Amino acid sequence: MRTAILGLGHHLPPEIETGGVRRPIAVEPVGPSALAVKAASAALTQAHLPVEDIEFIAFATMTPDVTFPGSGCFFQHAMGCGTIGALDIRAQCAGFVFGMVIADQFVRAGVYNHVLVAGAEVHSSGLDYSEAGARVASLYGDGAGVALCGRTDDDRGILGSALHTDGRRHAQFWCEYPASRQHPVRMTVDDLRKGRHFPSIDLAAVRSFGEHALPAVIQEALQAAGLHTDHIDRYVIGHILPEVGETVGKHLGVGADRMNVPATRHGHLTAAALPVALSEEVESGRLGPGATVCLAAAGAGFAWGAAVVRL
Amino acid sequence: MRNSRILGVGHYVPDRVVTNDDLATLMDTSDAWIQQRTGIQRRRYSDDWVGAADMGATAAREALERAGVAAADIDCIVFATLSPDVDMPASACLLQDRLGIGGMPAFDVRNQCSGFLYGLAISDKFIKTGTYDHVLLVGAEVHSTGIDLSTRGREVAVIFGDGAAAVVLGPEADPRRGVLSTHLHADGKFAEKLWLEMPASRARPRLTEELIAGTAARIFPKMEGRYVFRHAVTRFPEVIREALDANGLQPSDISMLIPHQANLRISQMVAMGLELPEEKVFNNIQNYGNTTAASIPLALYEVLEAGRLREGDLLCLAAFGAGFTWASALVRW
Repeated sequence: MRTAILGLGHHLPPEIETGGVRRPIAVEPVGPSALAVKAASAALTQAHLPVEDIEFIAFATMTPDVTFPGSGCFFQHAMGCGTIGALDIRAQCAGFVFGMVIADQFVRAGVYNHVLVAGAEVHSSGLDYSEAGARVASLYGDGAGVALCGRTDDDRGILGSALHTDGRRHAQFWCEYPASRQHPVRMTVDDLRKGRHFPSIDLAAVRSFGEHALPAVIQEALQAAGLHTDHIDRYVIGHILPEVGETVGKHLGVGADRMNVPATRHGHLTAAALPVALSEEVESGRLGPGATVCLAAAGAGFAWGAAVVRL
Repeated sequence: MRNSRILGVGHYVPDRVVTNDDLATLMDTSDAWIQQRTGIQRRRYSDDWVGAADMGATAAREALERAGVAAADIDCIVFATLSPDVDMPASACLLQDRLGIGGMPAFDVRNQCSGFLYGLAISDKFIKTGTYDHVLLVGAEVHSTGIDLSTRGREVAVIFGDGAAAVVLGPEADPRRGVLSTHLHADGKFAEKLWLEMPASRARPRLTEELIAGTAARIFPKMEGRYVFRHAVTRFPEVIREALDANGLQPSDISMLIPHQANLRISQMVAMGLELPEEKVFNNIQNYGNTTAASIPLALYEVLEAGRLREGDLLCLAAFGAGFTWASALVRW
């Protein structure tokens, strides 16, 4: 018995020009939960399942709708999911892999048969589009991807996975404010004027980390699945720098035709990057039942992970 | 499939005690008013630059020591909070930093008052499936920096306190012992009945000088108290009975109930509804206020310190709060 991806859906807001690149940006005042609702209907349709069959929600985001409660609660209500549990997790760029592996535990433990795993972000409302922040702001996009994960006895599903975090490097890629640790208030007007609520990234450190961590975690997930690099039809790589995806392909000895690096097309969608890219592959018919994919992401935290999945 | 078991519990509460009388100097309230409605007598506030991860790290060290597990042997870290140290990354990452460890996955659970039990459910499943052997589960909150300490914010401000607690979970071969089952619920229909709206990714921009200056109430938590109370006293017993039913047990089988410390009056009504005598329900909200994700493990720590839990006892944990989310777990100690 394993956990399979039974259906996929994604939603990207219309692209607009920012900092010389086109990015999907939610210009309306919407949060990730609303984007995820638009992504979820396709996942349910593809899985031929009514919403009543969903037993649990795992929602991964680093840009929640409000400070609390979690976006999963808003999503759960908008989906009409009754009173099922709605988990919100924070694992930044690796959020979707973490969420899917958590869903896998609940399914394999026999607790739930069908779990909706959402990765969704609205970055644009929290970025600095002035000249000072344009470089970082241009790296991000908004979007949502949803995978309906469920129990299967067939020869498919999550074959292997690996998750890692090293918080000792958290300040190389972070957004410090608001900070509950600062007394008497989490943020001052001065902090705001200094732009300390915008993400701060040591790009060189994040690049070199991604180039080392991604091939290693992919090999680890492949080993757990008992497969080799050649067995994988598509590698989907989530990293804020598109060029890291190319380097990872070279490290693995995998041609560009088997690499999918969503940041190249959409900017970095963090928790949404992997399900959006996988959903695009399935929707376009490039990948179908029986295809084996490796989903891998690395970013802030530092957190990184990979999963090998047979569709 | 094996069970998981709580191997050790640790805690940390800040030194600074804030009494109801202290609050009455900041806002129009009184010790009598607060005690009558909530049962709270005092709470703790953390110091400047002591965040959820800092407090969580102290609690974690104690939990590891009591569990006899080395920090390096932790396979996974689950951190429940609604008041993270920084906007991102997760407080779990800062906890790793404070403990000087890395490599094992670490992530945050953001499920408010039910955060600890959502985290317990995840930790339990990771151990059940054999994925991990030792999971460190932390609940920690610094509310004091995010509440409105003027009269405008008194309904919420008097309730919250800062604190942290942690448990270390490990495998249990005996299927009759350890975590027997977990039950998780939510109803986002009521998300705005107890919430902190701003900053919000759905607002453009997320933050303004007006919000930061505190002149706009939306930067502080808001609660419709009577609404929350009414739902809590329904959902608490419901989710406790769900856990009992799943295990073929009765309320009279419970040796100790630890309800999330939201309000002493809620806990008392829940105990009454289940016909549980006073000595089988533990409350410490009097001393700490509502510490959200930290409240259940902090209470568990004090239950153990007081020697009120013995091997073979049936421990029931239950929570209700913002989301709304609610949850329960049964543990055979």
